[in-house]
Amino acid sequence: MRLTFDDSVERFRAEFVAWLADNRPSEEEIRADPALSSGHLPVWAKRWTRRMFDDGWLVPGWPPERGGRNASPTEQLVYLEEMERARVPRTTNPQGLGIVAPSLLDYGSQEQIENYALPILRGEKSACLGMSEPGAGSDLASLSTRAVLDGDRFVINGQKVWTSGARHSDFCFLFCRTDPEAPKHKGISVILVDMETPGMTVRPLPEIVAPEYPDLNEVFLTDVVVPKQNLVGTLNDGWAMANGSLAHERGMVWVSSSIVLDDDISRLVRDAPSWLGRVSEAERHALAERIADAYIDTAAARCMGYRGFGKLLRGGSAPEQALMKAFASEARRNLAMVAAEVQGPEVLEASPPAVHATTLVPDENTSWIEQYFRTFALTISAGASEIQRNIIAERVLGLPRS
Amino acid sequence: MDFELSEEQEQLRDSVRSVLERECPPAVVRAAYEGRLDGEHDRLWRVICELDWPAIAVPESMGGLGMGFAELALIAEEMGRAVVPAPFMSTVAQFVPMVLETSLPEQQKILLGTVLDQGAIGTVAIAEKGSGWDMSRMSTEARRTRDGWVLNGTKSFVFDGADATTILVVARASDDEGIGAFAVPSDAVTSTAVKLLDPSQPLADVELRNVLVPDDAVLVEPGDQKGAAGIRRALEQATAAVAMSMTGTCRVIFDSTLQYAKDREQFGKPIGSFQAIKHRLVNMLIALERASSLAYFAALTIAEDDPRRSIAVSMAKAAAGDCQRLIVQDGLQFHGGIGYMWEQDLHFYLKRAKSGDLLFGSAAAHKANVARALGLAA
Ligand SMILES: Cc1cc2nc3c(=O)[nH]c(=O)nc-3n(C[C@H](O)[C@H](O)[C@H](O)COP(=O)(O)OP(=O)(O)OC[C@H]3O[C@@H](n4cnc5c(N)ncnc54)[C@H](O)[C@@H]3O)c2cc1C
Ligand SMILES: Cc1cc2nc3c(=O)[nH]c(=O)nc-3n(C[C@H](O)[C@H](O)[C@H](O)COP(=O)(O)OP(=O)(O)OC[C@H]3O[C@@H](n4cnc5c(N)ncnc54)[C@H](O)[C@@H]3O)c2cc1C
Repeated sequence: MRLTFDDSVERFRAEFVAWLADNRPSEEEIRADPALSSGHLPVWAKRWTRRMFDDGWLVPGWPPERGGRNASPTEQLVYLEEMERARVPRTTNPQGLGIVAPSLLDYGSQEQIENYALPILRGEKSACLGMSEPGAGSDLASLSTRAVLDGDRFVINGQKVWTSGARHSDFCFLFCRTDPEAPKHKGISVILVDMETPGMTVRPLPEIVAPEYPDLNEVFLTDVVVPKQNLVGTLNDGWAMANGSLAHERGMVWVSSSIVLDDDISRLVRDAPSWLGRVSEAERHALAERIADAYIDTAAARCMGYRGFGKLLRGGSAPEQALMKAFASEARRNLAMVAAEVQGPEVLEASPPAVHATTLVPDENTSWIEQYFRTFALTISAGASEIQRNIIAERVLGLPRS
Repeated sequence: MDFELSEEQEQLRDSVRSVLERECPPAVVRAAYEGRLDGEHDRLWRVICELDWPAIAVPESMGGLGMGFAELALIAEEMGRAVVPAPFMSTVAQFVPMVLETSLPEQQKILLGTVLDQGAIGTVAIAEKGSGWDMSRMSTEARRTRDGWVLNGTKSFVFDGADATTILVVARASDDEGIGAFAVPSDAVTSTAVKLLDPSQPLADVELRNVLVPDDAVLVEPGDQKGAAGIRRALEQATAAVAMSMTGTCRVIFDSTLQYAKDREQFGKPIGSFQAIKHRLVNMLIALERASSLAYFAALTIAEDDPRRSIAVSMAKAAAGDCQRLIVQDGLQFHGGIGYMWEQDLHFYLKRAKSGDLLFGSAAAHKANVARALGLAA
């Protein structure tokens, strides 16, 4: 047990920090050409992702030909800390880099890796993730978008919903039902669909805050024809990828959550004294205790994260990630709620138009109450908090299924 | 940052756990509850002394084992797991740290010697009924005279206060020059054991009436800023140890509740399959992990003398308080009628966890400390 990292890890950190300082795009550059959604790659973003790839800083844990440098898990951890502190995203297409590309590297054919995964990593293409449907959210396995194999092609019909970035994406990593007779987990496949394919219709869905930058979409598929070689992995074996994709997503997300929490709490502790100066002493005490609670949550998220990471390094179990996902996302939501209440009624004044969330999270200018509403993205998507609790109860605690 | 135990630490924890499982099963705790401990109390303490646990964080140069606060904290956690009715917390987590943090080498030799060589019990008296552990508001007074300092006042919630050989009393100078620490032999005071909710952890009131402390027994002279900081550092160690011990106790309640939820069937199924119970068990686990991670963090900041130690200790104690609130409540609730019975061992743990929150500053008190450290409260 100790509070510090090895010198070699700190040297790795310093090397990356120095590289970042020399190479990162400036905030002005980012603001001048904001990403319009999580599928949009502005010019600066393409250049920046490409530079990270070429210099082995995009996914340091991978080998050089995949944009990495074979970094150790601890090095990857400090990398993520610094990446988040720098307030510049590695890509403006997080689901492409975080989920689609790794899934293709794990399950895709050589051709798919060449034509889809590597272009994502080089900042040339963006991808969206077509999982949820109106009838299949938490219960993803009940999805009904249907792909029928017809000779050397699939014909696809159905509807996806809440597909982040679909409007600007180059292709979709689409979950379809390919065997309607099989038990629901056994008849699902993943197919790559270029968004330009005839029969694809995308309709943006403005969100609860910043409706001027809709990120989510509905995607309608009508007789969409796709070559058979766009099937990822084995036919009817897509469920393994659903789990695999989410595992990629959950891997070390706590690191970025924890750094964002650090940022948020520093901002709150910086601003709170002037807000607290306006209320009665009794109210000040009540509010100060709640800020203290949020501060404690922030420290706890970091310590729990490191502790879980230590276990992971020594071969511990992965389901504990679910615990971090639930805790950190709820801590962020609570912190924003407390901050809004501490700020008082002036928090209701609308923020200046936000640069899209995927470009700079969180924006200094976003009001706490908008921030609060945004945090529900964290507690609902990628397995809602209740689903995380089911996972923890069954896989970590060993409780019987309901 | 590494929260995993080293191999040596793991061995230490395992050996402490197995000794306590053997020497302090729930039947021994029950005996403490039912006033049938007889010689058991002394026997347990002798075992602890023979294994040299009191020497754990004492430097080798002073006859100790030369380990650090992390190791002490690991033992405190085990003490909480086994709700041990022996004067470990008082002597090892309060008295020894206060001696090490505040006294001169020749005083240390004498005071530590009584513990390490003779197995004496030592304790620290800080709290008072009117001010708890908040040293800025305490009223026990130290007055300078020609022959030394004279102490007057009443201390409360003194761990093992009726059994200790030496009590380290913290008092305020009559001219308000600051706080001091004084080593007082038990026969100079009136210690009264208090009847308690949790009799496995005895507390006493200690009345000081014109107790004369000669100069060589003054550990910290009021007005000595460095000495006062030492007193605060010792209080931080004691507080962190209580937080560790509470998470140990809460872990047992949680494990027992989880097992019960798997075993107990109603409506034809284990009650642990009902989501109303499942999700709340997960909330208990989260509260426990939150508290336990912060207790380890606090222990590490003390072990490494990190500048965050003061706020880290308050965070740990506050989180331990939050944790027991949830774990005691739902732990008892999910045991149904069984949890309500004296015959079950569960209540030893419930009561120890509850007392832990109220001793050495409650969650509310420590959250106020955190708010103060952040500049949000006076
Ligand atoms: C910001 C954002 C981005 C998203 N991006 C994408 C994307 O790019 N691609 C994509 O495919 N999807 C995306 N989604 C969709 C997301 O995956 C789903 O919203 C999520 O899986 C929940 O499904 P649902 O919204 O249908 O809610 P439902 O599943 O209908 O759940 C409603 C409520 O019931 C609870 N609930 C459901 N089942 C249980 C149960 N068994 N036990 C207890 N409680 C239960 C849920 O926790 C929730 O509180 C995104 C969502 C958001 C908010
Ligand atoms: C002070 C006291 C006095 C009593 N007096 C009497 C008396 O005079 N006469 C008499 O006959 N009985 C008496 N009882 C017994 C009392 O009625 C039972 O304790 C009560 O019905 C609960 O049953 P149980 O203890 O077996 O708990 P269980 O039914 O085993 O429940 C254990 C836990 O599981 C939960 N649980 C159970 N089923 C579900 C579910 N479907 N969904 C979610 N959670 C569930 C419960 O809420 C509880 O938290 C008394 C109990 C007490 C504590």
